[in-house]
Amino acid sequence: MTRNMQRFMLTAGTALGLTLGASAALAQDCTTRIGAVLPTSVDWGRPIAETAQFVVDQVNESGGVAGCQIEMVLRDTQVDPKVGVDAAKALVDLDGVQVLLGAVSSGVSMPILTSVSVPGNVMQMSCCSSSTAFTALAREGKTSGLWFRTFATTGVQAAVAAKVAQDQGYGSVAILYKNDDWGQDIAKLTAGYLEALGIEVTGSVALNDGQPSYRAEVTSALSGNPEAAYLALYPNEGTAAVREWLSLGGTQNMILANSLKSDDFRQNVGLQYLGNALGTDTASPRVDSADDFVTRYTERFGGAPNGPGLANSYDATMIALLAMEAAGAGATGDQIAAQVGRVTDPAGTPVTADGAGFAQARQVLAAGGSVMYQGATGNVRFDANGDVSAPAVVWKFTEDGSEEVQYLSLTEVDTFMASMN
Amino acid sequence: MIQHLLDGILVGAILSLGATGLTMVMHMLRFANFSHAELLSIGAYVALVFDPLFKALLPLLSAQIGPLSMTWALVAAILVAMALTALSAVLFDRLVFRRVREKGEELSMVFASFGLALIIRNVIGLVFGLHTKLYSQDIVFATVLSRDPLILVKPDQVAVLGVALAVMAALHLMLSRTTFGYALRAVAENPALAQVNGINLGRMIVIVWLLGGALAAMAGVFYGLTNQITPVIGRDLVLPVFAATIVGGIGSIHGALLGGFVVGIAANLALVVLPSGYSPSVPFLIILAVLLVRPNGLFGEERA
Repeated sequence: MTRNMQRFMLTAGTALGLTLGASAALAQDCTTRIGAVLPTSVDWGRPIAETAQFVVDQVNESGGVAGCQIEMVLRDTQVDPKVGVDAAKALVDLDGVQVLLGAVSSGVSMPILTSVSVPGNVMQMSCCSSSTAFTALAREGKTSGLWFRTFATTGVQAAVAAKVAQDQGYGSVAILYKNDDWGQDIAKLTAGYLEALGIEVTGSVALNDGQPSYRAEVTSALSGNPEAAYLALYPNEGTAAVREWLSLGGTQNMILANSLKSDDFRQNVGLQYLGNALGTDTASPRVDSADDFVTRYTERFGGAPNGPGLANSYDATMIALLAMEAAGAGATGDQIAAQVGRVTDPAGTPVTADGAGFAQARQVLAAGGSVMYQGATGNVRFDANGDVSAPAVVWKFTEDGSEEVQYLSLTEVDTFMASMN
Repeated sequence: MIQHLLDGILVGAILSLGATGLTMVMHMLRFANFSHAELLSIGAYVALVFDPLFKALLPLLSAQIGPLSMTWALVAAILVAMALTALSAVLFDRLVFRRVREKGEELSMVFASFGLALIIRNVIGLVFGLHTKLYSQDIVFATVLSRDPLILVKPDQVAVLGVALAVMAALHLMLSRTTFGYALRAVAENPALAQVNGINLGRMIVIVWLLGGALAAMAGVFYGLTNQITPVIGRDLVLPVFAATIVGGIGSIHGALLGGFVVGIAANLALVVLPSGYSPSVPFLIILAVLLVRPNGLFGEERA
């Protein structure tokens, strides 16, 4: 903790120095503020904010956005919707920001979006919210096109699970899911995808935490005689349910969500029963721009970007700034949001995710062209609902952990998902 | 349907054991003891410690009993767990409940029991970690009783049911046939009058805690055997065990026995009609329904 703090103070100090130096050198006299609402009071939230600031520093060094330096005003959400909304309101009303970065949790991002961003006509770009509730909201037109996120939805995992079922030739699948937002979401999506592929869903059974026994639930799931089981559970109840499932003669053909990639689960169920279990997970892209991000990040922070959402935070910030550049000085939130497509255009000029790339983008955009941002999470492309897709992996358990069975690139995932819609 | 009924009976046996101890304590000391379910955790973890110990000391004991996943070592560990849990129940009474009983009122006891439950749960988590543990990694496959309709039972669960019923029967005989049983019932009925008649109240309280602790330990190990062991066993079981106690009527051993089965069966059968996400609400619904029809529980008697 102390060492982390020290490192943070050091980087914060360096950042300050760089910003001051750069602004002095460029002698710009205007500053544009953007807002960031992130959970800086939790240990994994702070690096996400530092990564966003890192992007702002690089852009400022390369000459700023639309002729002005960017100041990122950071406020803590404490992973609390009420605190998050207050923070966002203050940023919009008092600091007059047109762009909000954040939040991390879907439960915080959602009230900010509906009660601050949309009414205030401010663009909101989240690094880390995965709930499909945003997709539904966008589909109803209630986000006014102001919402974007650089984190793939649970839809990717659900689609890959369906693909695994298809590849393995399972004709029928029973679904057991954790009875919370995430579980309900992924179970519904998976069931939809399975049916789209012509695979019968024999039953979809919710499991609550801390039940004295999961026997009744497992019996219900078994009743349709499924050829395979899809499990969107956490390790604790997952262990109990799967042991029950196996002991009652359930099939060993299992498809697991990434939440079950756990040593506890592997050991307590037993590897001998998990031979036919295949897991799904989203993966970081295997492209040069992602490796470049790792190099840049390591140079700056003295360690690899291992925390959650760092690459996503980097891209969220960079794309937001690119869109601001494209929209020009004094643009409002909706005008900035309208430019997001122009800076993530697959047919545009490719630009790298650093100061030099930003400078190049500035020229292309000034000449009326469009750019293709090549970021830390690959070539980011938003769909009509502000969602992105992600590469995926299929994994299985081994003696000492898990190993990758198959890698599905972004294009493969996109093609597969498009084929089902 | 039949499968759900059968599953309910097997789960119910464990709840009955837990509820029997709770109903005795609640009747005698007249407070809702929310820490009772933690005694199940203590029992389960004590057995988890002693089971491998016995296996190491006496390799002969590590043989499995017939088709069960239970070993003789675990049987020995259950006995140790019952003894130690019974003692810790008495200890908790000495350290916490007796002091509160002397100075505070009923509500203070309830809150004290809440606090104690939290402490026990967290100490267990601290010592053993929050991970899921098991007595045996092996999965014992269920035996097919009938193909159509498909009925499956696990040997472990049948054994648990048998032992639970035997213990209940022994308890029943003790309460209805021995002087000690009469004394116990007299104290529960009217402590003051019982003392006038020469019954040592303090000793009776100790015995009730010992019995309650031992039964809870047994229920805890059986739960661990048929499910899994985590520090939150107590939290997960407190509601069903309370439901069983209230349904049966506080103070009635027979009621607790029946209540356990009612709750177990109802929770399982509920899945036939209700979506599975709603199953945690079933114990509440049973409590409500029973209290509406019989405010003192199925076997409970009104008392002044």
